[in-house]
Amino acid sequence: MTNGEINLRALSELDLDAVTAIDEKIGGKYRPDEWETRLMYYLRRDPDALVGAEVDGELVGFMLGDVRAGEFGMEEPAGWIEVLGVDPDHRGKDIGGRMLQKMFRNFRERGAKSVRTLVDAESQAPLLGFFGKSGFSETPVRTLEQTL
Amino acid sequence: MIHNAEVSYIPKKYHEAVCNWRDLYLPDYDLLMNNWDRFFPKDRPFQLCAYRSCNGCAVIEAGDNKGDPKYTRAAQMSEPQADTLLKAVKAQASTEFGSIQQHQLTLARAQDEQDQFWILRMMAEELRHGYQMFSLLLDDDWKSVSSHSGEDMVEEILAMRTGTHVLGAFNVDFDSFMDSIVFCAFIDRVGKYQLSMQKISSYQPMAQSMPPMLTEEAFHLAAGVVPLRRWVQKAAKDGDALITMPMIQRTINKWFPRALDMFGDERGGGTFVKFGFKPMKNAEAAGQYRDEVAQVIRDLNVRFVRARVPELSRKDAQRIVDEKEPGHGFDPEELLYVPDVKFFRRRGPHAYQQNDIDGEPIENKSEFQRRIRGYLSDVYAAGRDFGGYLKLIDRIAAGELTPPEAVPMLPNLSRVGGVCPCSKAVRWVNGNGNGEPADPGEG
Repeated sequence: MTNGEINLRALSELDLDAVTAIDEKIGGKYRPDEWETRLMYYLRRDPDALVGAEVDGELVGFMLGDVRAGEFGMEEPAGWIEVLGVDPDHRGKDIGGRMLQKMFRNFRERGAKSVRTLVDAESQAPLLGFFGKSGFSETPVRTLEQTL
Repeated sequence: MIHNAEVSYIPKKYHEAVCNWRDLYLPDYDLLMNNWDRFFPKDRPFQLCAYRSCNGCAVIEAGDNKGDPKYTRAAQMSEPQADTLLKAVKAQASTEFGSIQQHQLTLARAQDEQDQFWILRMMAEELRHGYQMFSLLLDDDWKSVSSHSGEDMVEEILAMRTGTHVLGAFNVDFDSFMDSIVFCAFIDRVGKYQLSMQKISSYQPMAQSMPPMLTEEAFHLAAGVVPLRRWVQKAAKDGDALITMPMIQRTINKWFPRALDMFGDERGGGTFVKFGFKPMKNAEAAGQYRDEVAQVIRDLNVRFVRARVPELSRKDAQRIVDEKEPGHGFDPEELLYVPDVKFFRRRGPHAYQQNDIDGEPIENKSEFQRRIRGYLSDVYAAGRDFGGYLKLIDRIAAGELTPPEAVPMLPNLSRVGGVCPCSKAVRWVNGNGNGEPADPGEG
């Protein structure tokens, strides 16, 4: 059936190729090893918390994250969104927003009181705009870095 | 801790029996615990306990009593319902303990430490799944509604060994670490189907046991598929790779028919649906499983093709795989495929039929035996499981048996009393696969 409806569901190992393909479409690089390692990490932690978006049975978006406590001395359990990807051919359909809302529900069920993510304001400006529109705001927590 | 789940433990005597069993069949458990943070940093620590999900539907979701409140105690069920459910619990528990015994045979032969620890973690989680089934048997009074007692069933399951488990797939010895990986990708996938179906069980404690098990099962499937993806990539790039596509195919040929058998006779499953224990009959579930396996195989083939011909796009690689298109620097015959559902079956309408890998009949028995050996690894073809299969084929060809008569001739346990090292209570003998008594087992 091809009705163009967006269906949200948990991701599984069967999505490895599709997730790799979305990343490849966005970044132009085929990186199967990296996605196997990454998805495996989340699958063994909490597979139900991973969100995939399907249109007409095809995976067109994914969002990976989990609930952690104690990160950087912040004791309260918080949901962390590590990575998301939407097939460029399916942008403009609020797929990212729908996945985010599903992720929020998953995080709440797992005891999180807040959601955090890290965005490079220079190279990922559109992403910064997406999170801003979705209700995220900057916090006093700063990312510090030193070249080694 | 799994979210939204309550933790419980079975009575001390049985908890200790499981720990004794673990010492015997999972001797690397301490190695896993000592290396947990190294391989699974930030993951919740493993705990030998039962989890019950706090969520779930309170009314029966399928069958004759759909819409009624779910059963919270065994006594609320009829005897046929209780017996049917106990049969499923026993089979489920047997698979959990059985798979550990199988994986232990080849665990040390892993070429990659990470693969090895993934399997080791999976074994520990299978032990927890067995423990979960024991909690169902021991937390309720089954005697009031069935001729079976939970305690007896726990002892029986703890005494099972490879060759005496309920389902055929768990009576097959592993020959190499490749069996471990293919088993996770294909046999654990059947487990996923069974758990998913039982998530709607009309017996609420069963339904509530499923979500935490499914969470862990997702990792088990990936622990099979991810190494397989890496192996096919290596096979594509390296002509001297230790693991080749034909080797993987032969291992698939060994396990896929057993996986289909695990769903039960394709003509059955109605009783489970009628009683609200499962939403699908055997044929429907097996059909969905077969489609999912086809997806796994296609994914592996695309990975192989893209590793062999890196300049190909995903879409081109998919087309080449789907159409087995020649002329791209490899023989399309190298690609993996799904055996036909009529190949090498031991249950259902195709049981003990002489069919080739494409499901085509082979009338001549010798020709069939020669061909079927060719589809399997030499080491498996020389083993006791395949030997038992061929003996039954011989007896069918000689007119001594019909295929339906051969189906139940799986190893059967008989209680004879004595001492089992795990439960310290019983002694068992098992059939030899030909439906005849074998030497007494040690229990």
